[in-house]
Amino acid sequence: MRRIALSRIACAGAVLVVAIAGCGDLSRGELSRGVESLSAIAAQGELIASGVARDATKSTYTRVMAKTMGGEAEHEAEKLADAEPEEAVAGERHAAVLVAEEIAELYSQLQIFPGDEHHGAVVQKHMEAAKEKADAIAERLTGEEQ
Amino acid sequence: MKAILKIALGVIAALGGFLDIGDIVFNTQAGALYRYDLLWAVALGTLGIAVYAEMCGRVAAVTQRPVFDVIRMRLGFGPGLVALVASTFVNLLTVAAELGGLAIVLTLLFDAAFSLFVVLAAIGIVIAVALLPFGGIERVFGYGGLMMLVFVAVIFHQDPDWTAVGNGFIPSFSGSALYFYFVVGVFAAALMPYEVHFYSSGAIEEGWTTENLKENRLNAIVGYALGGILACALVIVSGYLFHPLGVEPTDLGTAALPAQGAFGETGLLLALGGILFCVGGAAIDSSFAASYNLSQFLGWEWGRYRGPEKAPRSTASWLLFLFLGLLIVLTGINPVEITEYSVVFAVVALPMTYLPILMIAGDRSFMGEHANGRISAAFGWLYFALIVVLAIVAVPLLLATNGGGG
Repeated sequence: MRRIALSRIACAGAVLVVAIAGCGDLSRGELSRGVESLSAIAAQGELIASGVARDATKSTYTRVMAKTMGGEAEHEAEKLADAEPEEAVAGERHAAVLVAEEIAELYSQLQIFPGDEHHGAVVQKHMEAAKEKADAIAERLTGEEQ
Repeated sequence: MKAILKIALGVIAALGGFLDIGDIVFNTQAGALYRYDLLWAVALGTLGIAVYAEMCGRVAAVTQRPVFDVIRMRLGFGPGLVALVASTFVNLLTVAAELGGLAIVLTLLFDAAFSLFVVLAAIGIVIAVALLPFGGIERVFGYGGLMMLVFVAVIFHQDPDWTAVGNGFIPSFSGSALYFYFVVGVFAAALMPYEVHFYSSGAIEEGWTTENLKENRLNAIVGYALGGILACALVIVSGYLFHPLGVEPTDLGTAALPAQGAFGETGLLLALGGILFCVGGAAIDSSFAASYNLSQFLGWEWGRYRGPEKAPRSTASWLLFLFLGLLIVLTGINPVEITEYSVVFAVVALPMTYLPILMIAGDRSFMGEHANGRISAAFGWLYFALIVVLAIVAVPLLLATNGGGG
């Protein structure tokens, strides 16, 4: 009896080791959380860019906020790119990295032109689109989970 | 007329001493995450600080003993020392967080290196304290902090769903650890111990006696209520603007965005100016509180009114706390993260300073006819029970939610 129990435990352990080895270190849930952060960063970018577009802000404020938030988007891109994704979410991980890079680039545009209303309006529009892309990835991730 | 003016100034001082980086960070994040659902916790915390501050001010006015004098007398040296170490640790984190907050706002206004502004902020505080009398410090930062009223104007500009806002004052429990973490956060941010340590020592600085008890009550109730209104305004404007968009305010500058959205550059400058004065005032209050606590516990001469010549050890300890706070921020730790830790650890240390005050405020042999009445005692003990529960769950919630990161 005891022998059978031990072999069952050993088998379960082996299955677990194989499962973990094939999983990668970026789960669907973690990727989803990362993408949600990207959506939040893009949403904030939309608000900051809207201030620039309406000439309703201060250049120093826009520049510093863009530097900070752009850094966060870059950090998120690096984190996602460095992680080893589960096979099932590898495509979504790649899409998320691209969105993160796009958001970081848009913030750098705000940093360079913090007082240019035209640039502000363009960035606002693109931030909105980037947020939609991030939301779509998050939806696919949570949808597939269900 | 003079009495009314004095009370008005006291109220402004209390208002200025209420809002700090912890309130701004936690209330803005609470609104963004849970819309208006945590307004009840802000109101609960505001009532708590008013109850606690009123007791501390009354004890100081009647017995001429500030908080840490009472703590050593009631708890004795050993347990009192534990309370002192815990409070000093929290105060030091708070000084660092406020200095970092000051530097963030200055960076947003003038765009230069953050570390340069941290050093300039500390120098600015030393100059302000050297040049201004005690009452002057309170009033300059209190008046400046009134710029935060722009957030109340933003509410009316946004015209939120008032029924939903009203419902936010009814306690609700979502069941998630993150929600409870924010309940603890907004409650603790309102009840930061340094606020009452400073308030009570300020009563001694200004020579309060039993004749000032009415003033004390009005300052505590009206001043902290106004502070509470501003804290609620931060939750409401953030809930209205950030919640539907899914914005996660991780930076102090984000808190000013609703004012910019409503009133453009003027709104932005008023919001940043208000934050600057509130955080600057809190940097002075928390560094003073750290020095007051140490001096009162060790029996040193203390008090701004005595001057550095007559209170050299107290003055030196104040400069040391400011310097240590400066070093903490210069390590590069994000001031918003320091704020979150200081607020959570503050609620852990709170029962150790709250209980001795509650006991002496109810002791007729010390307080005579000014001891806690039935209502004050009931509120006092109710809040003590609540604080103990929050102190127990605060650190597990901090760990379970990864510091509010979910």
